[in-house]
Amino acid sequence: MSKRKSWVLSIVGIVIVTLFLFPVYWMVITAFKAQTEIFRTPPTLFPQNFQIDSFIAVMQGDVGQYFLNSVIIAGLATLVVLLLAVPSAYGLARFPIKGVSSMMLIFLVTQMLPATVVLTPLFIVFNNLGLLNTYAAPVLATATLGVPFSVLLLRTFFTGIPKELEEAASIDGCGRLRAFLQVIIPISLPSILVCGAISFFFAWGDLIFSITFNRDQELWPLTAGIFNAVGRYGIEWNNLMAFATISVLPVIIIFVLLQKHLVEGLVSGSVK
Amino acid sequence: MLPAVLFMLVLIGYPLLYNIILSFQNVDLSNLAGGNREFVGFDNYRTVAEEDVFGISIHNTLIYTVGSVFFQVIIGFCLASFFSMKFKLAGFLRGIMMISWLIPMTVTALLFKFMMGSEEGILNQLLMALHFVEEPVGWLSSPNIALWSVIIANIWIGIPFNMLLLSTGLSSLPQDVYESASLDGANWWQKLVHITLPLLKPVIMVVLMLGFIYTFKVFDVVYVMTGGGPINSTEVLSTLAFRYSFSDFDFSLGAAVANVLFIILFVISLIYLRMIKKDEAI
Repeated sequence: MSKRKSWVLSIVGIVIVTLFLFPVYWMVITAFKAQTEIFRTPPTLFPQNFQIDSFIAVMQGDVGQYFLNSVIIAGLATLVVLLLAVPSAYGLARFPIKGVSSMMLIFLVTQMLPATVVLTPLFIVFNNLGLLNTYAAPVLATATLGVPFSVLLLRTFFTGIPKELEEAASIDGCGRLRAFLQVIIPISLPSILVCGAISFFFAWGDLIFSITFNRDQELWPLTAGIFNAVGRYGIEWNNLMAFATISVLPVIIIFVLLQKHLVEGLVSGSVK
Repeated sequence: MLPAVLFMLVLIGYPLLYNIILSFQNVDLSNLAGGNREFVGFDNYRTVAEEDVFGISIHNTLIYTVGSVFFQVIIGFCLASFFSMKFKLAGFLRGIMMISWLIPMTVTALLFKFMMGSEEGILNQLLMALHFVEEPVGWLSSPNIALWSVIIANIWIGIPFNMLLLSTGLSSLPQDVYESASLDGANWWQKLVHITLPLLKPVIMVVLMLGFIYTFKVFDVVYVMTGGGPINSTEVLSTLAFRYSFSDFDFSLGAAVANVLFIILFVISLIYLRMIKKDEAI
């Protein structure tokens, strides 16, 4: 491809992506506008009066607590996913377990299940176990989103690692467990990170489990908080968009840090 | 038993069976924690089927799914083709488009609700400034339009994911076929119709099926943007099930609707599994 053509295509690409991501720009920019400017006709593409009052306003509200809850719920859910999925995927990849293919099938199918189908039964079960209005309820429920994805992705990865690697380790006097911890885990770290990040995104984005299991607002994540804030802030869209921007920020930061691995991992985790 | 399998059996498998049992009982707030539950046969399904809103929901869910998937795949394919030309910024630009897929759906739904507001929304302002419309469009307040407004938001969310899967498919196509086609004087349209689409068919089918499965169960986008309204015009199966269970607290009716959703998805999933099994043993 000629240099010139490459540049023309790059510019066309930038235009396409800018148009596509305009809603995100509009969200961020609205957050920096004053209330009066939001309703101006014609709308301003950049705040004439750049201000951070909206961020201050929502921070003085409950956003801090919601943010903390989101971190706790998504963080714990990610931990649960990794603790379950990494050893299980390794087992499925390495050991002659009866019914491996039917287990993989179960993971594939559960990945496609709508939350609504398990919502009511989980509500009743959690109610009987006294787990409603605790962090445990959304943590356990959102972990079910990450587990199948991670097992499918990691098993494919582990299967691809040559067995000789562990065998060499055991000749050096490593036990099976140490070989797993010191040889397999380090070389799988990028894939494990992808699974962790995706599981974190799944849990971070959850709305339905949290609003169903936790009526106690103190335990709400950002998604539930912002959904509820629509009623409270009404048409104060600058405040709502500041709230939205804060909710999106962590996800975008993680994505930027892991971008290359994530894009590859997403494909292999969702198709297989 | 592997820990992950056990976890999924307890938190997904068991609730799934429990949901089927619930749909044949009469469980509301009074006997939720225990107490005597009656077996009522297919009564819940009959009650649900007799409500107009059930038919409306199935209809809406189908339109929502087919409309979303159709446009996501077409736009996703165009973008995948564009970015498959290996120009300087292609990889980077394709990557940052994923942002729309990453944002929590609740936030996206709220953002589109803001942009589609009838007075202050940027969409109406833009359309009126360009004189495409003279009166503000009631994107979310008009029962005739609301479903398509929600679909638009969903298309936006799903485009990058479709693009990503199709890009992977495109990059795996053999290049020499294109070279010999060029030698034979084929233009880009002939290459698209006679080479790309036939070769990409298995990938396109997988993308269509996955899109169908993930869109059919949608909840957040609809629930946040319209809550199923105005006058049920955007009610889908998952929001209806949620409403029965957690607004009316008629858990058995909710379970019945959720099961209908599940059965439809289960059949589609089986077809999908057969399809990918042909390609490779899982």
